This record gives sequence, structure tokens and C-alpha cells, in this order.
Amino acid sequence: MSRIIHFLEHLIFGNRRLVVGLFALLTLFLGYQASNMKLDAGFEKNIPLNHPYMQTYMKHRKDFGGANNVLVSVCDRNGNIFNQNFFDTLKNVHDQLFFINGVNRSLVVSLFSPSTRFTEIVEGGFAGGPVIPADFNSANPRALELVAANIEKANIVGRQVSNDYSCAMVTAQLLDIDPQTGESLNTLALAGELESKLRGQFENDRISIHVIGFAKMIGDVADGAKDVVMFFAIAIAITAVMVYFFSRSIMLTILPLLCSVIAVVWQLGLLTVLGFGLDPMSILVPFLVFAIGVSHGVQMINAVEKRAVSGMGAKHAAMAAFHSLLIPGGIALLSDTVGFLTLLVIDIGIIRELAITASMGVAVIIFTNLVLLPVLMSFLQFGEHYVDRFANKEQHSERFWSWVAKCSYKKPAAWILAITTVLFVAGFMQSQHMKIGDLHAGAPSLHEDSRYNQDTFLITDRYEVTVDYLSVLVETSPEACTSHSVMKAIDDFQWRMENVDGVQSTVSLASVAKIVNAGYNEGNVKWQVLPRNQQTLVQAISRIPSSSGLLNGDCSVMPIILFMQDHKAETISRVVDAVKQFRKEFETDDMTFSLASGPVGVMAATNEAVAAAQIPMMAYVFGAVIALCLLSFWSVRATLSVVIPLFVVSVLAQALMTLLEIGLTVSTLPVIALGVGIGVDYGIYVLSTMSYRLKRGDSVQLAYTKALQERGSAVLFTGITLAIGVSTWVFSTLKFQMDMGILLTFMFLVNMLGAIIVLPALARFLWPKRNIDTNAD
Amino acid sequence: MKNALASVLVTSAITFSASAQEAFLAPLVEQSVLLDVAASDYLVVVGERGHILTSNNGVDFTQSAVPTQSTLTATAAVGDRVWAVGHDATILHSADRGQSWQTQMQEPDLERPFLDIVFWDQAHGIAIGAYGLFYRTLDGGVNWRAERHATLLDPMDQEYLEQIREEDEAFYQQELDSILPHLNRVTRAGEKLYLAGEAGLLAVSEDQGRSWVRFDVDYTGSFFDVQPLDENTILAVGLRGNMFVRREQGDWEYVNTCSDSTLNSVLPLQSEVIAMGNNGIIIHAQRPLPVSEPDPYASSVTCEPPAGITMEQISDKAAILNAVQFDGKVIAVTANGIKQLNKE
Repeated sequence: MSRIIHFLEHLIFGNRRLVVGLFALLTLFLGYQASNMKLDAGFEKNIPLNHPYMQTYMKHRKDFGGANNVLVSVCDRNGNIFNQNFFDTLKNVHDQLFFINGVNRSLVVSLFSPSTRFTEIVEGGFAGGPVIPADFNSANPRALELVAANIEKANIVGRQVSNDYSCAMVTAQLLDIDPQTGESLNTLALAGELESKLRGQFENDRISIHVIGFAKMIGDVADGAKDVVMFFAIAIAITAVMVYFFSRSIMLTILPLLCSVIAVVWQLGLLTVLGFGLDPMSILVPFLVFAIGVSHGVQMINAVEKRAVSGMGAKHAAMAAFHSLLIPGGIALLSDTVGFLTLLVIDIGIIRELAITASMGVAVIIFTNLVLLPVLMSFLQFGEHYVDRFANKEQHSERFWSWVAKCSYKKPAAWILAITTVLFVAGFMQSQHMKIGDLHAGAPSLHEDSRYNQDTFLITDRYEVTVDYLSVLVETSPEACTSHSVMKAIDDFQWRMENVDGVQSTVSLASVAKIVNAGYNEGNVKWQVLPRNQQTLVQAISRIPSSSGLLNGDCSVMPIILFMQDHKAETISRVVDAVKQFRKEFETDDMTFSLASGPVGVMAATNEAVAAAQIPMMAYVFGAVIALCLLSFWSVRATLSVVIPLFVVSVLAQALMTLLEIGLTVSTLPVIALGVGIGVDYGIYVLSTMSYRLKRGDSVQLAYTKALQERGSAVLFTGITLAIGVSTWVFSTLKFQMDMGILLTFMFLVNMLGAIIVLPALARFLWPKRNIDTNAD
Repeated sequence: MKNALASVLVTSAITFSASAQEAFLAPLVEQSVLLDVAASDYLVVVGERGHILTSNNGVDFTQSAVPTQSTLTATAAVGDRVWAVGHDATILHSADRGQSWQTQMQEPDLERPFLDIVFWDQAHGIAIGAYGLFYRTLDGGVNWRAERHATLLDPMDQEYLEQIREEDEAFYQQELDSILPHLNRVTRAGEKLYLAGEAGLLAVSEDQGRSWVRFDVDYTGSFFDVQPLDENTILAVGLRGNMFVRREQGDWEYVNTCSDSTLNSVLPLQSEVIAMGNNGIIIHAQRPLPVSEPDPYASSVTCEPPAGITMEQISDKAAILNAVQFDGKVIAVTANGIKQLNKE
């Protein structure tokens, strides 16, 4: 092993200029690539496509549309829609939405669509027509009166018109493939058009426009994500100031930051080369890469500086630092990489992208901060003045470190382990309350007072519609809707589900057929039943077009749509469990009740996938860390001292999530894995010195004191610096960035404390025969 | 032996699966589609899916276990005994104020629902329904016997049928069976029975429904309720807000309600009479009722109701099927369940 390092050392430092030149070229190329980087968001990336629910969803998406819809509520600020201005605007909004690229034009619905009709019962049978007649003239008050009466007859109040007649709705479904380019739909461009062509054009002092739906949400997230650049700048500034205080040298401040920025450039460039875009939801990853880069860079300047102080020239100090850090740094970064790669097992596109983005970013740090950084530093000149200043500082810190080293003495160590155990047990119990999924109404990625969530609340308040619905798809044989027994099973199942807590209302072909049947019997509610007579049943069903979304072309598939009170994980799982229980009673060989479609169906699948992924993900991340520690230290005891604090911290982080009411979702699931990946660095750096000393026969206490002197300041410094940088995210406009900021701050700080306090305490007891403290404490 | 037992179980399972499944006891039963309410010193409410609820105070309702899931359309209570009728030609009976129920009749193959039921005492009653469905019992429902009443047909049809009958009795019965109108509501007033039905059918019987005399009304739409308001006044309501009143044995006269929502039931209160209907409409009418000439071209958008008529709409706009006065309250049944209406 050391021969290889020796070889590398000579190869690299023997050709310093060539190495720098190569890095410069690569950086130029990847920087150019990175400048072409696009923000890229897609609906399907966020869902577990191989989950059985999503298989059902994909199978029937053509017939029933997807879950990817847009709701535009046009509201009159005076609270009454019956005026010329409002109807003109509504018509314009309808037309504008119709022509936005990516909108499924056959499924744009509003008062102005011809499919919005009313039917009334008259002595001779039915009478009806479009709610807005062909000769509608919005300037004529009588025409508006007629439309008001038709709206009432069409029974669309609460759906297309708000309950208080202050708003009307235009809804549309989005295509997955852009019909103009044949490529997958550019959701962010569409979101931009929704904002500029609808809200920008039509919102004024008389009209307000409220838009919700996945596309708009992700668009708003992307807008918020642009602030990340600002947070990035703040983080770089804070880090720069801190590194300067640490290194007291402008060059030593610039170099690690430069190398970390190069790592980010490489990562973004490589992503583009591989054909990925950056998803708004993983926009934080470049920052993490930067943070991890700084952490390793600081170790490097620390090592160089220590050697320079001892009188070595810059080149030799850099070579020695490279030599001593390549293994621990490489191991740490490799375990980060492998740890992040384990996220690939989660079958959700966006998490896989995150896994690739993050592991690639961390892998390039091996080159930029473990190779390029020492090479660059080898060109520096350390003046006498500099060396003196540091010799002084070293003395100060030595006193501090011997005090900290007490953690490895018997009595403090016992106390530390006792407190850690208590924290672990309490944290473990708290973490059992971890909730899966979104815990709050509206879009969880955004703050409650964001425009998007305010629009969501307005729409759910004023209408009876909700975007929170789940479809159970009844799959049976063709023409099954003409069978009384099939329809009765659907109707009975639907009534069972309506009685489940959390289901607000339901609709299916069966329930609509009953209402139509009453319609055929002069609107007499006493006839609101499923006719046993097949001709009568067919007559009722023939009035329900397949565009209603309640049946496919040959009525072999009929969704039962369950409108939910909310999309909290508990509500979803209660309803899904009820479906699974009740369907047993109604399913036959020829009729299955399949989960699921609709936005809540997608959430149910995602929640289940996330819940199922949680334990394997942790197992793989820790497995990777354990394997790499075992490989590098060749010692079970050393591995345990690194992994145990790490595990305690990740359990505490989960407990923190429950306390902050952060649910486990697609966006928060990877945080723990990322935290472990970052946290492991501290332990590995501290232990690599210790392990070397212990192998030489030193006591735990001496080994630890030496480790602190050598690397302690870098560890402490990195933990605090990164925590400060990440904690600024609390001010982000994105709720999930705020959540991540809190969690990562916690992980950075507490993992650092774990490596400095808990690790030596553990070591004290794991190497029981190698202590000098029997008398000393 | 085992096989024999199994086949017995299978046979009984088949007979029960037709429509004789137990009604599901649902948490939301009070918000389900409820179609009729009857009051004795307790309340019985019936509705979709075999829902039957009883109450002793008009506030707290309990769902009864019922041996059917067929939609029940009407109920009648005499003393402690209660009957409920509905789709699949179902007649249920309870001898204990609606607590437990037995099936007296159920014939899904008829493909006809019963729509109303009336009892004079605990033994004598009739159940009526779609396509002239008419059953009578003389023994509290142990036996129900079908009847067909040609006298409910309009005179032209009766004349036509009589001609057929002279030629072929069997064909006459077949023709009668298919030509009879829906019988929507039967009301008892002393010894008289009033009947409201399809296509302008209003009729009265003085002999417990064995023979009927059709009233002549200038309306061809369906009537859903007919109620005597006093000795000399009868009120009938029906399709598209139509309301007709007959005073002192005179002609039926039109009352303009300005509503085009179907009126399902009439409830005489102290100083006014209310008519309830689809879209949650309640027409309040002061007596004497203002009559006018019907205007076939009138539009409900511009209509001004005459003095004494006011219209109200309940907030959820659910169709109101019927209502009774009970314990000082007006308890209504609607397509969205039980509702207490404001009095006056």
C-alpha cells in the first residue's frame, strides 16, 4: 500500500506543472459543460414507477389521464363572477391555457368548454344544453342571468364555480411528452408560461388568478432554488473568513476554497456530460460537495501548515501531507461516495439522480482536494514570519487539546458513554414516531405562506374540489358496466370507502348511473338505484361519456374516485388499508379493485416506497462505511469507534425530524444518508492517527492527544464552519431547504462532537489494556 | 352426509346472495340518501341500501339490522308495528318499533319497486308502486296479494281496455299490467284514500282502495303527493314545482310557486303548509292558497311569486323527500340524510 502511495507521490509531485495543467484543462472543459447545465424537473422522476400502484397508474393513464394536472382558479376580487369583465377574462384564460404547449387540449375544462352542459327534467323527458350558450354575449345582463341559472342546473357549483360564486375554475391535464419536440415535457418552461401568460397577463385589481398543480409547484420550487446561488455565496464568504482565521494566510484561504469550487464545477460538468439536468429538489447537492471539499481541504492545509511549522519547505510539507492524508481522506471520501451510491437502491428517479449527483461530486473531491490542493500548495513559500506565528498558536492549542483529551480517561469516558446511551435510548424512542410522507396541507416543499400554498388553501376553501384524490381502478371484462352485479359491487365498495374516516366523498360510474337513473324517472330520488333490468342499466350508462373519466372505451376499467380530507400520511395509509380490506369482499376472478391512481395514489405509492427504503438505505450506508473502515483500519475496534457515534447521531437526527414535524419524504429521505456520509469524515481523520499510534504501542490517551494535536483543530473548525454555512438555509424561501438546513447543521455539529468526545470514550474501553489512566484520573 | 350439508349451505347462500344480504351498518348512515320518515311515538326513517333508522327523540338515531340491501322508499307505523317497502318489491316488517326486521315479501324478478305503503290498523294495509304495483294484506302482512286497478287509468285507456277484455281476458291482463301508471303516493284521510301518480294521476277511493275515481286535472306531469288540508281542501304537488288545490269538491286550481324544482311532499303546519322538493326547495304557502291560471311560457328566472307564497332553499341543496312533525320539531329526510327544518 505505502509503495503505491510512494509511487503516486513521486509521479504527481515529480510532474507538478503537468498535473496543474491537466487539472486546468479539465476544469475549463467541464466548466464549459457546466455552463450549459439546465434545471430539469419532471413529474415521473418523483414517483416510484415500479411500485405496483404506479404500474396500475401507468397502465391506465391513457384512459383516465394522469395525476399531473393544473387547476387555475379565476377569482373576481369583488366576490361576484356575474359581470362582463369576469366572463371575458375567464374565456381568455381558458383559451390561453388551451394554447400553452404541453397542455392536453382535449382535457381543458371550464364553463366555456362545450362539455360543460346542464340537463333538466321536463314533463316530456330531458332538456339541456351547454351552460354557456353558443350566442353568449357577456355584455348582456340577461345572458349572464341565464348562465347563472344554467350553472345551478348543471350542478357544477363547488367544482367549476366556487361555492360563493366568487371564482370559476379552468382545469387542464398535462402531457408527458412535448408534442412539438417529441421529448419529455419541459415542466419548468410550462410553469413559467403559466405564471407569465395567465397570472402575468390577467391578474389585475379586479381579477386574481390562482394556479396549483405539480407543474406550478415545481416551477415555484425552481424559482426559490435560484436563491441557492445566494446561499452558496454566503456560505463561501463565511467559509473564507473562517478559513482565513484558521490559516492566517490569504493563499491558504484561497487554495482550499478554489479546489472545492473546482470540485463543484467538475460535478456539474460531469452531470451535463452524462446528460442529466439539475433537479430543483437536489439543488443543494453542489453545496454539500463544496462543504465536504472544504472539510478535506482544511485537513490538507492543516497538515501542510503543521509540517511547514516544523521547518520543512513548502514542497516537502505538501508531499508529506499528501502522503499522510491520501489514505484517511481517500477512505473518507470513498465511503461518502459508496454511501451516496447506496441511494440508488431506492426506486424513485429523483433519489437516484441525487445518488449519482452526490456520489460523483464526492468522488471528484478525491482529485481536487487530495491531489490538486497539495500540488498547488507545494508552490507556496512560507516565510519565517508565518512559521513563528504558528508556533505560537500551536502552544495555545496544545493546552486546549490536552484538556479535551480527558475524554479518553476512564471516569469522563464512563460518563460520556452513559450520557450517550441515555441520549440514544431517548432518541430511539422518539424516532419511532417518525411519520412517513407529508405532514402538512399544501405543498410541503414550500412555506405555508408561499403564494402556491396560499392558492391551494384558497381553492380548497372556496370549492368542494380537492387535488387530494385517490382512484381505485376496477378492472374487469369488457362491457362489464352493463352487469348489475358488477355495478352493485362497485357501488357497495364505494359506500364502504365513503364511510372510512378521511374520505370526504366518492364518485364512480355506479354512483353517477344511479343519479342518471333517477333522472330517467323524472328526477325522483326514490329511483336513485342501479336498475336490475339490463336495458335500463345500459340506458343510464349510455348517458355517461368516457370523457367523464369514470370508464374506459369498453367499460372494462372503471375508477372509483375517493376524495380525501387531506394528504397526510396517516390518512392515506388508513384509506389504502381500508381499500385492501374491503376489496377482499368484492373481488372475483373477473373483477379486481386495483390501487391506485390520482395524486393521492401517487403519494401512497411514494410513501410506501419511502417507508420500505428507509431501513435498507440505512443498512447499505452503514454497511459501506463499516466495510471501508474495516478495510482501511484492519481493526474491528477501530471500526466500532467510528461507526457507533455515527449511528447514535443518525438516530438523534431522526428524533429531531419527528420533533420538528418533518416527515420522511422523497426529499428528506436522503438527508440521513448524506449526514452519515459527511459525519464519517471526522471519525476517520481522528482515528487514522490514533490507529497508527495504537499499532505502534502507544496508550489510547497518548494516541488520542496526538490525533487531536494533528487533526483536532481541523475537525473542530470544519464542523463549526460547515454548520454555520448550512444554518443560513433556515432563511430559505423553500421549506424543504430550511428543513434540510436544520438537519444538516445538526448532523455536522453533532457528528463532529461525536468524533471528538464519544469516539475517544469508546476507544478507552475498546482497548482496555492500553491505558495510562488507571492512576491518572 | 358432509356433501349434503354442504349443498344445503350452498343453496341457502345463493338464495341470500340475490338481494338478501344484511344492510351494512354504516357510520355515515344518517347522511345517506334517506327517502321516507314515519312518526308514531317514535320515528322510523328508511332509505338507500336497506338503511333503516329509528329514534325516540328525533335527535339520536340508531341504524337497525335489516335483512336486505335493497333501497327502501317508504315506511308506515301503526302502534309498535312498522312496515318498510322498496325496490326489488321488498316489504319488511318489524313488530318491535323498528328494532328487528323480517322480510314479508321480496321479488327482484318483478323489477318493480314499491313506492308507498299505508295501513288502517295493524292488520289491513296496501303497498303501491311502479307500473301500477298494488298489494294488499288483511293479516298484518303475513300474506300479500296482488291487485290491478284499471280504474286508475284515464277514461280513454279504460275504454280501450274494456274492448280488449271482451275479446281476450288474458291479453287484457297483460295489457293492463303494462299500461298502468306509477303510483307514487297514497294518503289516508279517515275512510278515504287519496292517490298521486304518474301522468297527471290523482284519484280517490272510498272503499279502502278497491275501486278508484280519477280526478280531472289540467296537468299531464307526475304528481308525487296529495294531502287533504282540511275537510274541504286537498293539495297535490308534483313535477317542476306544480301545485294544485281543490276546494269544496270543485275543480283543481293551479297555484304558482315560481319554482321549477319537483315537489316531493306536502306537510301542513299550524298556519301554513310547506311543500318540499328537489334542489332543497321548500315552498311556504299561507292559506288560503293563491290560485291563478297556469302560464305555459313563464320563465322561472323572471317569475314573481304571488302573495302568500315564499320560497326557501336549504344550504346543501339536497332533495327533500318528506318530513314529519315530531316532538315539536320538523324532521325531514333528504338525499343528504336527516335534517331538522326550521319551523314556520
